Amino acid sequence: MIYNLVQIIENSARDFPDKESFRFLNEAITFKGLDVKSSQLASRLIKLGVKKGDRVGILMPRCLETAIAVYGILKSGAAYVPIDPFVPIERANFLIENCGIKYLITIPKQFKKIKKLLSEKNNLESIIGVSEIDTIKSFSWEAIFNSSLENYKPVNILGEDLSYILYTSGSTGTPKGIMHTHNSALAFTELVVNLYGFNSADKVANVAPLHFDPSILGYFSAPLAGATTIIISDAHLKFPVSLAELMEKEQLTIWFSVPLILVQLLLNGGIDRKDFSSLRWVLFSGEVFATKQLRALMQLWPHPEYSNIYGPTELNQCTNYNLSVPPEGGDTIPIGKPWGNTEYKILDVNDNEVNEGEEGLLVVRSATMMKGYWNNKPLTEKSLYIDEIAPGFDSVYYRTGDLVRLNDKKELLFLGRKDRQIKFRGFRIEIDEIENTLLKHEVVIEAAVFLSNIDDDQQLFATVLLSENSEIPTMNLKAHCKQYLPPYAVPERIEILEYFPRTSSGKVNRKDIEKIIRLL
Amino acid sequence: MEQTIIKYIETELASDDIEDGLEASDDLLGSGILDSLGMVKLISFVEEAFEIIVPPEDMVIENFMTVENICEYVNTKL
Repeated sequence: MIYNLVQIIENSARDFPDKESFRFLNEAITFKGLDVKSSQLASRLIKLGVKKGDRVGILMPRCLETAIAVYGILKSGAAYVPIDPFVPIERANFLIENCGIKYLITIPKQFKKIKKLLSEKNNLESIIGVSEIDTIKSFSWEAIFNSSLENYKPVNILGEDLSYILYTSGSTGTPKGIMHTHNSALAFTELVVNLYGFNSADKVANVAPLHFDPSILGYFSAPLAGATTIIISDAHLKFPVSLAELMEKEQLTIWFSVPLILVQLLLNGGIDRKDFSSLRWVLFSGEVFATKQLRALMQLWPHPEYSNIYGPTELNQCTNYNLSVPPEGGDTIPIGKPWGNTEYKILDVNDNEVNEGEEGLLVVRSATMMKGYWNNKPLTEKSLYIDEIAPGFDSVYYRTGDLVRLNDKKELLFLGRKDRQIKFRGFRIEIDEIENTLLKHEVVIEAAVFLSNIDDDQQLFATVLLSENSEIPTMNLKAHCKQYLPPYAVPERIEILEYFPRTSSGKVNRKDIEKIIRLL
Repeated sequence: MEQTIIKYIETELASDDIEDGLEASDDLLGSGILDSLGMVKLISFVEEAFEIIVPPEDMVIENFMTVENICEYVNTKL
């Protein structure tokens, strides 16, 4: 029986010692190598005083050392906390302070950033991964890998121990830390392996950065099956042509990313000239995959199966919808049905269940659910829906804040975020509905709609990206919207942009779009 | 050419990472100096400044990893 994440690597090191566990560009590490090196890191952390409940930071871009850091920290009994190396120092330091991080794991290339962090106010005590810092205890990777494991005593890790904390990008202000246990992470890890039949012949692409929850699939599900995880580099994600070359060269069998990266591959990757016959699953999550683009991709790559995976970080993931033939029409594809060990309810604003087929807010109960928000019990309580199903026995659901309804096949349809429902001139407007309408137009490849206060007047504003070499007067786009939307939901201004600013997880950054608009 | 590109990156695209100055051999892609948007802007700048067109198939890591790589690439197009 396996009940913690550390056992994943211990078992695969026993069953597939010399097989590659993780690969990054030209570097790779075997399961045995990862098991030993992560124990060496754990041993050092324990010597430094790390104990259960402690949080250890990982400040790294996509690289091979991320795997050693993740498993090393877990083996020490601590929880790992990824810090996006591309955020400003102030924000990185906010996280270090907020989470009470004393130990940080990094790589030599981050030296400058580490120096800056050390000049900020925080409680950092040791750094691993860079040496030559005289103001604080620091250890090079070389020193860690040369250390003896003679006196190393593995920590007894239980399923209910804390495993990692992921900070959300915080579209609503302060970032919040989402706490997962070994149990909730392992439940997700095993579900994925079973649902998609992961096996030791698989090569799984890990596209997500460590601070973004899809990485759980690459860092845990793939090793559980004895598969090799290919960590895609930051550089490759900026160049679709290079990415397509890498995919072909590595003969990837399982892909998992936000739709955006697949769309970039489709539009700019030259993928029609490459061989992707090794792919057997294309998984995507995090945003809605525009139906017409998914259709185009599936026509180019007809052989793999596709799965739309849905779920907020608080739940890891919770539903999926599989496709083996391209979707027809313009409707958004469903988010599907809950997967194993998961149930849901659809509630109205008063927490009463809606009638079947009616729109409401999705609450989910699952083995993959978080423990709560880091150091914020009131917020945790607010996020839960408690259903007392027997005296003294509660079923606890997470309130996703997502609007959904069931279609006639009892599949869930995602209608938008509760907080993306706006009141405008007295009308209730669904931002997502307007964006989906714009996307139905053949030249529009992406759309972002928001309310703005430009010219001192609230305006419903749409920005769109067009497919390559196409032009269209914005008047025509407005006319297109009028065909499908009530008059009050037709954007008053539509601007065609050349690009959208993105967050580090690849989602469209609407706040920054607004800034761009102000400059026009 | 090298200096023109370095100056553009430092003044227009730089995150706080390169205050000590950018080297022509610095990795622009893996170090966080440029995000995806920054790379889009940099390519447009290179196209305008040196009056070349960068076709999609040339938008690959080898051509844009460092300022040195960019100069080598631009020279093949001039």
